[in-house]
Amino acid sequence: MASDSSADVVIVGTGVVGCLVAERALDAGLSVLMLEAGPRVDRWRIVENYRNLPPSMRLFHWDAPYPPKPWAPHLETRVAKESEQYLQLEGPNARAYLQGYVRYAGGATWHWAGICWRLTPEDMRLKSLYGVGRDWPFGHDVLEPYYTAAEYAIGVCGPSDPALQWPPNAERSKPYPMGPIPFGPGETRLTEAAARIGMMNLPAPQARNSGVSYHGRPPCCGNNNCFPVCPIAAKYDAATALPKIEAKGGKILANAVVYRVETGEKNAVEAVHYFDPNKVSHRVTAKLFVIACNGIETPKLLLLSKDDRNSNGVANSSDQVGRNMMDQPKLFAEVELAEPLWTGVGPVQSSSILNTTQGEFRNRYAGAMFRMENFARSPLGSAAALKKGLVGKALDTEIRRLSACTARLTVEHEPLPLPINRLTLSSKTDWLGINKPNIYYDVSDYVRRSAKEYTVPRLQQLASELGATSFQLSPEFLNSDHIMGGCIMGSEAATAVVDADCRAHDHQNLFLPGGGAMPSGTASNSTLTMAALALKAADAITAQLKHG
Amino acid sequence: MLIPHRLNAEIGKRIGSAMSQLNPSLSDHVAGLLAIAKQKNAKIVEDFFPDVPDGPLKQTALAIISAWYLGVVSDAPDAEVFAFEYALMYQPTRDVMTIPSYAISGPNGWSSNAPPLSDMPEF
Repeated sequence: MASDSSADVVIVGTGVVGCLVAERALDAGLSVLMLEAGPRVDRWRIVENYRNLPPSMRLFHWDAPYPPKPWAPHLETRVAKESEQYLQLEGPNARAYLQGYVRYAGGATWHWAGICWRLTPEDMRLKSLYGVGRDWPFGHDVLEPYYTAAEYAIGVCGPSDPALQWPPNAERSKPYPMGPIPFGPGETRLTEAAARIGMMNLPAPQARNSGVSYHGRPPCCGNNNCFPVCPIAAKYDAATALPKIEAKGGKILANAVVYRVETGEKNAVEAVHYFDPNKVSHRVTAKLFVIACNGIETPKLLLLSKDDRNSNGVANSSDQVGRNMMDQPKLFAEVELAEPLWTGVGPVQSSSILNTTQGEFRNRYAGAMFRMENFARSPLGSAAALKKGLVGKALDTEIRRLSACTARLTVEHEPLPLPINRLTLSSKTDWLGINKPNIYYDVSDYVRRSAKEYTVPRLQQLASELGATSFQLSPEFLNSDHIMGGCIMGSEAATAVVDADCRAHDHQNLFLPGGGAMPSGTASNSTLTMAALALKAADAITAQLKHG
Repeated sequence: MLIPHRLNAEIGKRIGSAMSQLNPSLSDHVAGLLAIAKQKNAKIVEDFFPDVPDGPLKQTALAIISAWYLGVVSDAPDAEVFAFEYALMYQPTRDVMTIPSYAISGPNGWSSNAPPLSDMPEF
């Protein structure tokens, strides 16, 4: 049994990665203590926070229902000044790294969309096939069983027809645990329009219960509020995993801000140190440590922990900790259509176009995923109609038209791992005196070329096929909240932070699973790959502790 | 008179008290608007709104309408929300679009069907 100061396995972070590792370790008979920087909050509180936001804050400020505690700050975006407080961003595309994640028990899964794409075999061999980026140290066949296990662990619904599954060229070892979620009118029209121009809009595999309950969570009822919070827990979020972990004997300590990883003899990790909300420091020991507090907080913590043995920071003899920061640079177009499309039926995201992510062109420019946002547009339609000064029937008619006949089309570009895109420690400090993260970000010519030659023309074509009468492109690249690369994986200790099991090359009892380990970002959502890596790491962890 | 729909009295009281704090002339403006409506023998907003002069009277009229539709007096980041599911902005599309966080049907209980734009819901 874990205590507040010791366990077989100590896990820093309570998001999807930490929770999956915790459950596996507990199932193997190991004691587990999880440390979470932020508070533990009930779902109803978040839902109430959300409903009490003014309309303009509800759609694009996913952080707004999650006010941070002073000791665990995260990005807040209600006003411009606020968004500069925590993340320190620089470089030509600083705006594209304005990453939203919440430092709450449950992590960013509170407000993730729940989308669970797998990588393709090609996504893992960019260097060999296209001469860009990095190869993974293992093939897709090694990852596949972990993908399947992750889909069953978090409950992913998806199509049973292989023609609608992704990737198209790699067999699944098992079907999805649940069938697909039905399309609403908007997604149906998008699918038809896209197909006419060779773009295949697939039903997205989603960690959302489809038609049945799963793991004690109810079926999705189309509340159309997956972000910023699923009000009924039909979507997997790690908040629903925490009681299961406790039922298995795991301990979860909230409001425990880990600020230092301590190394000892043979450079093994001996302890982690955390501050409580009274700024009192505590030391926690374990046989093995997992740091899974997301792609920004994990490298930040490693850099904060430099000592005599590790003068660059813990796990950083390669100098790659905090480099290769990735996310899919996103552009979107607001379009007005001649005919109604009708978003706002079903989940806020339920499909995507992925055949545009693959091809020989990746030797020159980025692949990209296209999709349509399926949130209800009635608040946007109403605000726009009210601005016109309309009243009475004319107001209602215009609200209905603008809500039904408008859409946001999105394109997310594949990033490359570039050492220049780097997280360092800012000289600015937070409430506890801990350095804030500073990130330099340049989406690179690989992405800019893609936007110019490939994705923006394709987006215009898609809009035109939908019957667009106006097309307004976002003026700059934006974040997609898929933080990857900062603890990059590779077989060589000189050029990578972790090995194929997400074990730090420098420390045999330190694991850094999650998005940070991913050697390629690709154009699709990262969570399922993070979850698969968590399960792969969990196998290595239990093998190491059970069998030495 | 400004809004041709069934309105919730509780929400009306809260909007009225918040608006009169922001705008001390609110009751004068409302009286002015009613006078124009009476003069035009108005039954619905369209009967008298074209006669409301540009300026404070019209601004107040539009602000009252906006508050009922958006559920806030001002859409500022820290604004107090008076109505969520009863905010009128969701009503013209309520036959198709979800009021976010409220389910419109049951498990997988939706489809790709949508009625024509001309079928305005009653509310």
